[in-house]
Amino acid sequence: MTAPGQPVRPGGDAPDPSMTGKLVVAWAVVGIPLAWGVWHVVLNALKLF
Amino acid sequence: MAVLSFLDRDRSIAGPGFSRWLVPPAALAIHLSIGQAYAYSVFKIPMTTLLGISAPVAGDWQQATIAHMFQVAIAFLGISAAIFGAWLDRVGPRRAMFASAVCFSGGFLVSAVGVWQHMFWLVILGYGVLGGIGLGLGYISPVSTLIKWFPDRPGMATGLAIMGFGGGAMIASPLSVALMAHFKSPTSMGVAETFVAMGLIYFVFMMFGVFTVRLPAPGWVPAGFVMKTGSNRMITAANVEVGEATRTPQFWLLWTMLCVNVTAGIGIIEQASPMIQEMFTGKVTAVVAGGFVGLLSLGNMGGRFIWSSLSDRIGRRATYATFFLLGPALYATIPHAGAISSVPLFVLCCFVIISMYGGGFATVPAYLRDMFGTMQVGAIHGRLLTAWSTAGILGPLLVNGMRQHEIDLGVPKSGAYTVTMYVMVCLLLVGFVCNLLLKPVDPRHYYRAAAGDAPSTGGSEPAQSGTAAASPRAAS
Repeated sequence: MTAPGQPVRPGGDAPDPSMTGKLVVAWAVVGIPLAWGVWHVVLNALKLF
Repeated sequence: MAVLSFLDRDRSIAGPGFSRWLVPPAALAIHLSIGQAYAYSVFKIPMTTLLGISAPVAGDWQQATIAHMFQVAIAFLGISAAIFGAWLDRVGPRRAMFASAVCFSGGFLVSAVGVWQHMFWLVILGYGVLGGIGLGLGYISPVSTLIKWFPDRPGMATGLAIMGFGGGAMIASPLSVALMAHFKSPTSMGVAETFVAMGLIYFVFMMFGVFTVRLPAPGWVPAGFVMKTGSNRMITAANVEVGEATRTPQFWLLWTMLCVNVTAGIGIIEQASPMIQEMFTGKVTAVVAGGFVGLLSLGNMGGRFIWSSLSDRIGRRATYATFFLLGPALYATIPHAGAISSVPLFVLCCFVIISMYGGGFATVPAYLRDMFGTMQVGAIHGRLLTAWSTAGILGPLLVNGMRQHEIDLGVPKSGAYTVTMYVMVCLLLVGFVCNLLLKPVDPRHYYRAAAGDAPSTGGSEPAQSGTAAASPRAAS
């Protein structure tokens, strides 16, 4: 994640083993309420057709 | 205060192994919350019977009075974004997001007291003033951070966050209705209780964003990313300070473009439900019109992500040129759709128009970054949002005023929107000309760092801004 010619920060590019889990949780926290809201809108919008 | 030191900019620099893909959900947590503002109308009818409960009685508030809540909130959104933008760039996103959460949630709590005591000035102070400041701070706080994390895809990154503002209403609307139904009793409409619950829920949700957001380490860039020198002079590697940016013609051209795009879009949003019912009398009921409004909110949200992501590929100027050419064509088609009584054609036109309305909001931070660099893009974005406040007044005035004028002249309601649509066409063509006139910023406006004179980026990217200050560089 460091540009060519730039100093690498100590550990800056080291993988974080828990990162995948953090990403899943973070996207779920925002994704689930949004999906719930979109579902309500789609149900209402279907009345158009 | 020491207890709040975790909000410091230095404490929010990303540590080893941090993934930049954690920043968009942090930004979304803020924008999905403050996007509630678009759903405030669900409170309008319940708030007209706070005293009478089953029916309005003397002393109950009128709908027109309640509308001031939203107007004041949007006005304070623009004012606070313009005033606090430079502060935000200095203190970093975490403190600004925290301040936004406190103001936005606090606004609900103050309003709850106002509803409970039936004091409208307290509702305005809470939801309008305090909540509006929370809106402004929250709207701009994640934008410059996302641009720094995604220099390779700034449009997509800011589009993701700003999409949340469009999507927030989709969550807030059913949530508010469900909470009011839960709290309603023979002696209460459940509004005050709902305000308290929403204030607490949104505070927790926004704090998730506060704790998750991180700034990139100084000089950090994504693997393989290089600011290439090429033929595209519309993207600068230099930086312009916020005060200097507002002295450039580029800022005011972008301001005008945003203003006309929002004015045109608000014209549709504001009148969506009555417009479709009046243009297709007998074919579209109020319930169906509700579905149409929901569909528009989907277009508004989706457009924010799709158009801004597309702008990373085709460029900001081409994206806005599409808005300002396709938009007029669609506005001009709407009267025709009414004349041939084609609901699908009308819905399609409005859907694409609203997607471009959202797309305009989502693409403009990346356009600002292209023109003025990343150093104070948050503050510049804040100043630009005054165009939104202006359009928020102009759009409804224009649409409602012209419709009424046509009706007064004896035009049937189904045709009362025709002239308005052609006015929107002209407005968007003005935007097209502004977009054409945009040229790279004159290098005399560039920020030139003196020794020890750190700009208010808080030092998140001194290496980039320092080297870029003297010479404009282009990137693909």
